[in-house]
Amino acid sequence: MSATDTPTDIKSTLRGTFMRYGFLIIIALFFAFFTLYTGSFLNPSNLVNIVEGSSILLILALGMTLIVALGGIDLSVGIAFDMGAAFAIVAMKEYDIVWYLAVLIGIGGGGLVGLLNAFLVVKLSVSPFLATLGTFFIGSSIQRIFTNGGGPISHRRVDQEYRNLAVGDIYGIPTEIVIAAVVLVIYFIVLERSVFGKRIHAIGLQKKAALISGIKVNRYVAVCFILAAATCAIGGIIGSANLRMFTPLAGFSYLLDAIAAVFIGASIHPHGRPNVPGTLIGVLFLGMVANGLNLMGLDFNTKDALSGLILVGALAIAVGQKKLR
Amino acid sequence: MQNDNTSNTQALLSMEDISKTFPGVKALDAASLGVAAGEIHGLVGENGAGKSTIIKVLAGVYGRDSGTIVLDGKALADVTPHSVHEAGVRFIHQELHLVPHFTVAESVFMGQEITGPFGLDRRAMRTRTEQFLSESLHTSISGSTLIRDLGIAERKLVQIARALIDDKARLVVFDEPTAPLASGEIDQLFAAIRRLKERGIAIIYVSHYLGEITELCDRVTVFRNGVDVAVLDHVDSHSADTIIEHMVGRELEALYPGKSHRIGDTLLDISQLSDGSRFRDVDLCVRRGEIVGVAGLIGSGREELTDTIYGLRQATSGTVTFDGDAINLKAPWAAVQKGIVLVPRDRRHDGLILDMTVGDNINLASLDEVASFRIENREKAARRAEALSDKIDIRPRRVEAVTRFLSGGNQQKVVLARWLATGSKLFILDEPTVGVDIGAKVEIYQLIEDLAKEGAGVLVSSSDPAELLGLCDRIIILMRGRVVEDRPAAELTIDSLLALTTGGHVKAASA
Amino acid sequence: MSGEASSMSAPRGWIQRSAGMWLGTLPLMIFVALLLYLSIASANFLTLSTLDLILRQAIPTVIVCLGLSVVVMAGGDDVVSGGIDLSVPATAVLAAAIIADQISLHETALAIALLLAMAGALAVGIVNAFLVVWVGMTPLLATLATSVAVVGIVKVITASRRINVDHAAIVWLRDGVFAGVSVGVLITFVLFIFYFWTVHRTRWGMNLQAVGGSRDAAEVSGISPKRYISQSFLVAAFAGGLAAMFILARGSGFTPGTEENLLLEMVLATFLGAAFSPRRVVTLWGAVLGAVLVSALSLGFKSIGVNVFWTGCIKGALILVVVASASLSGRVRS
Repeated sequence: MSATDTPTDIKSTLRGTFMRYGFLIIIALFFAFFTLYTGSFLNPSNLVNIVEGSSILLILALGMTLIVALGGIDLSVGIAFDMGAAFAIVAMKEYDIVWYLAVLIGIGGGGLVGLLNAFLVVKLSVSPFLATLGTFFIGSSIQRIFTNGGGPISHRRVDQEYRNLAVGDIYGIPTEIVIAAVVLVIYFIVLERSVFGKRIHAIGLQKKAALISGIKVNRYVAVCFILAAATCAIGGIIGSANLRMFTPLAGFSYLLDAIAAVFIGASIHPHGRPNVPGTLIGVLFLGMVANGLNLMGLDFNTKDALSGLILVGALAIAVGQKKLR
Repeated sequence: MQNDNTSNTQALLSMEDISKTFPGVKALDAASLGVAAGEIHGLVGENGAGKSTIIKVLAGVYGRDSGTIVLDGKALADVTPHSVHEAGVRFIHQELHLVPHFTVAESVFMGQEITGPFGLDRRAMRTRTEQFLSESLHTSISGSTLIRDLGIAERKLVQIARALIDDKARLVVFDEPTAPLASGEIDQLFAAIRRLKERGIAIIYVSHYLGEITELCDRVTVFRNGVDVAVLDHVDSHSADTIIEHMVGRELEALYPGKSHRIGDTLLDISQLSDGSRFRDVDLCVRRGEIVGVAGLIGSGREELTDTIYGLRQATSGTVTFDGDAINLKAPWAAVQKGIVLVPRDRRHDGLILDMTVGDNINLASLDEVASFRIENREKAARRAEALSDKIDIRPRRVEAVTRFLSGGNQQKVVLARWLATGSKLFILDEPTVGVDIGAKVEIYQLIEDLAKEGAGVLVSSSDPAELLGLCDRIIILMRGRVVEDRPAAELTIDSLLALTTGGHVKAASA
Repeated sequence: MSGEASSMSAPRGWIQRSAGMWLGTLPLMIFVALLLYLSIASANFLTLSTLDLILRQAIPTVIVCLGLSVVVMAGGDDVVSGGIDLSVPATAVLAAAIIADQISLHETALAIALLLAMAGALAVGIVNAFLVVWVGMTPLLATLATSVAVVGIVKVITASRRINVDHAAIVWLRDGVFAGVSVGVLITFVLFIFYFWTVHRTRWGMNLQAVGGSRDAAEVSGISPKRYISQSFLVAAFAGGLAAMFILARGSGFTPGTEENLLLEMVLATFLGAAFSPRRVVTLWGAVLGAVLVSALSLGFKSIGVNVFWTGCIKGALILVVVASASLSGRVRS
C-alpha cells in the first residue's frame, strides 16, 4: 500500500523522525539559536558555566528520578535541600563541629525529611503527592519559625574546606561538578545496573505485580524516599557552601525544574521510563536555556516568563513525542 | 413492533460465514449464528473457541474479514458500535460499568438524561426508572438509591435497565451475567431475562455455566475452534452432556495429562483459618506431589483464601503449618522465602511487569542469583532466562521481547518460569488457564503435572470444573466462605461438582 | 503464635471496626475541636462580625476551589493520574494582574479590562486542556508547568511590583453591603449556586461526573471523556478569572506572590472537603466548607496571637492528619 503513496510516505517518515528525536532536535535548535544570537555562548568557559550551574539541579533531579521511577512524586525535594544546608551550617556555627562531620549531619538532616515522607507513604498510606505536599508545608513553616520569618543564617568564618565544596576545584575541575558527577555515576549504577534498580522499576511499573513477585515493596519505597531526600541535602550543602549561609526556602526554586528534567528524560527513553542519562539531558537542557537567556541580557521578569513558556513547550513536545511514537 | 410474528423460523439476527483472523490466530473460521425474536439463545464454548470474538464482531468492536450479518431482514454492511445500537442491539457486558456514587436513576439515564426547562428532570428519570424496573424486570429498587448500596444482582438489573430504558431494544446480548452472583440472585436475574423474552426481545446468552444454559435457553449454539460445531434446537436438563461433547470434541482425552505423580508427606496444613469476613474455619491440606483443587463460585471466598495463604491478606485466626513449621505470613516476600509462590488470576495486572522484558520477568524473583555485588550480570541473567524459557517452551524465544506483546498462554508460562527459577515447594495457581488458548492450556496442564511429579505441592483454584477434575487428586469445595466438601476428584463428576459449588442450584433447575 | 491470634480474633475485629468509624469522623472532629477551642480562647471569635470577616477572607479560595473541584470531578480523584488543576490560582492572579494593570496604569474601561482578563484566563484553560487531552500529559505535570509559565507572564505584566487599585467597583466588592450581608459574600454564594446547578442539575454536569466516576462506564454510554475533561479545564480557568476581582478587592490591588498562598489554601480546602464528605470524594460543598474552615482557622489563630509562621505548619499537619485518617479508615474497613 505504501508503494503507491510516496508523498505521504516521506511525510510520515519525517513525522516519525520528529517523533523519535523530537526533543533532541529542540535541544539542537536552542543550542544553534543561542550560539548565533549571543557571541559568548559557545566559549569553553561558558560551557563549563552551564555544567557547573546545572550541578545542584542535577543532584536534586536525580533524587526526583528515583521517586518517579518508583511511581511517585516528591514535592519536598526543596525542603530536603534546605534541611541539608540548615543542619550543616548550624552544626558548624553553633556547635563548632568540623566540616566533614557537618556535611554528614546535613545529609542526615535531609534524610529526616525523607523519613517523614516514608512514614506517611508506607505506614499511613497517604499518596506520595499529598504526603510530600504536607511535608513541604511543614518544612517551610518550620524554617520560617526558626529563622523568624525567613532571615538567612550566615556563617562567614566557615572552614575553607567546606567552602571549597562549592568554589574549589579538583585537578582543575570545579568541585561542584565532581560531586555531581559522582552522584550521577552512583545513581546510574543503582538505578540502571543494579538489582535494586530493577526492583524499583518493577514497583514503579506495576506495584501489585512487584509485591506478588516477592519484592519487599514497602521497604523499597521507604529506602528510596530517604535516599532521595539525603541526595537533595547534598545539593543544599553545596548551595550553603557557596554563599556561606543557610537561605531558608531556597530549595523551592529547584522543584519544578527537577520534575521537568525527569519527565524530559523519561520522554527520551525508548519505553518512556524515568532514567538517569535522560535526567542528565533534561538538566543540561534547562541549564542551557537559563544560561542562554541570561546571556541575551533580558530583564529578570522577561527571563522568568520565557523560561516558563519554554518549559511548557519542552514538556509538551517531550510527552507528546512519547505518546505519538 | 413485531410482537406477534415471532415464529422460530424467522431469524431476527443471522450471522453467516463470519471469519476473523488475528496475527497468528484464526479466531473465527466461517462461523454462523442465528437468533429468532423472542428466544433465549445460548452461546457456549471453551475459552478461545470464538464465542466472544463473534460477539465483538456483532458489536462492531472487531471488523470481520468476511461473512454477512443480517438483522431484521436488512444486511448490515458497516457495523459500528453506533450503528448496531441504532439497530436495537444491546450488550450487557460482564463488567457492570457503573459509577458507585451515582444513584440508580442517574445510572440508568447516564448519557441519555431527561432534561426539562430548568436542567435535569430528576423526578421524571426517577419515576421512569422505577416504573421500568417494576414493570419490565419485576423488581422494586428505589431510583434514588446509590449504586454502592446495591447488591451485585441489583446492579446487574440496573445495567440491564440502562440498556433497555429507551424501549428500542430488539436483541440483547448477555455476556457471563451470573459470574459475580449468588444463587438466589441468579434466580432474580433469570426471571428478568424471561420477562424480556415475553416482550418479544431476542436474547443471546453467553455463559460457561452449563446448568444455567440448560435451565434458561431455548436453543444453544456450541462453538469450538472458531466455528459453530452444533446448534441444539431443543434444550432441556439432559442436554448438558451433549453440549460438553460438542464443546470438547475429541480433545477431551488429550487435554489433561495422566496423573502419574506420587503423593508424599504433608507440606501445607491449614487448620481453622478465618479472615474475619470472607471465609471461616477453613481446613486444607496439601501434600508433596499432590495437586489439590479449590472450587467455588465468585464470592465463595476462594480468591480471598489463596490470597491469605500467600500473605496478601491477613488471617484473623487459625494456624498454618508449612514443611513442619508453624508460619505466619505477613507479606508475599515472606511466603516466597519459605518456598510458597502464587500465580495470580489476573496475570496482566498482578503477575507480570508487562513493560519489562521476558527475561526480566523470569528473573524478577531471583535477581540476586544473576548478580555479582548487587550489579546485574546481564549475560548470566539472559542465559538463565533462556534456559528456563527453553525448558517450558515460551514463544517467541527471545528473552528480550517485551512481555506485553506475548499471548496469554506464553505470559502465563513466564510467570511459571519465574517460580521455577526460585525452586519453589508449593505452587498456588489461581485460574491458571483463563484467557489461554487450547494449545497452551495443554502445555500448562502438563507443566502442572510435571511440578507434582518433581515433588512440589500444587493448589489449583479454578472456576472451570472440567479443569479441576482433569488435573487434581483431591478437590475442596467452598461455599459462602466455608468448606462444604473435601473429596478425591475421582468421586466427583462435572455435574456433582457444579451442584456442590452452587449449593444445589443445578439440582433445583433440573428437577 | 497463631493460637494467640485465634483467641484474640473477636476483640480485634471489633476494635478494627470501631477504629474505622472513629478515624472516619476524625477530620471533622479535629476541626470542631479547634473551633471550639478558638471560641473559648478568644472572646470575640464567635461574633457575627468575625463570621463576616471569615467569609470575606475565604472568597478567592472558595472560587478557585469551585474550579478545581470541577476538574477533579471530571478526571477522577486520584491526585497523580486523575484530574487536578494546580494552575487555577496562577490563572486567577494573571487575570488580577491584567485588570490591575489595565485600569490603574492604562486607564482602560473596567468592562474591557474584565474581558481581557477573562480571555487571558480562558487561554490558560485551553492550554491545559490541550496539554492533558491531546498531548497526553498527566494533569498534575501539565498544570504545574502552565502555572509556572503563567506566573512568569504575570511578572512581565506587573514588573513584579504591587499595583494599587481604587476603582469604585473593586471598592464596592470589598466594602459593599446588601441586606446586611457583604456584597462579595452574596456574589460568591450566587456563584456557588450556579456551579452547583451546572454540575448537579444539568445533563452536562451528570455526564461530567460520569466521566470522573468511571471513564469506561461513560464511554460505554456514549459520553466522550476527552470532551468533558477538556471542558472542565475551561470551567476551572473561568473560575480563576472570576476570582481575580475578589483577589483585587481583598488586597485593594495586586500584590506579587499571591498565587502561592492561594495554591496552598486551594489544595488544602479541596482535599479537606473530600475527607469531610461521607463518600470521600471531592464535592463542591465540601471544598467550600473546607475553604471557609481554613479561613476560620487562620483568623482564629491570629486572634489568639499564634505566630503567623506557625500557620503553614498547622495547615500541613492538618492535611496529613485528615488524609491519613481518611485513607486509614478506608484500609481498616476494607
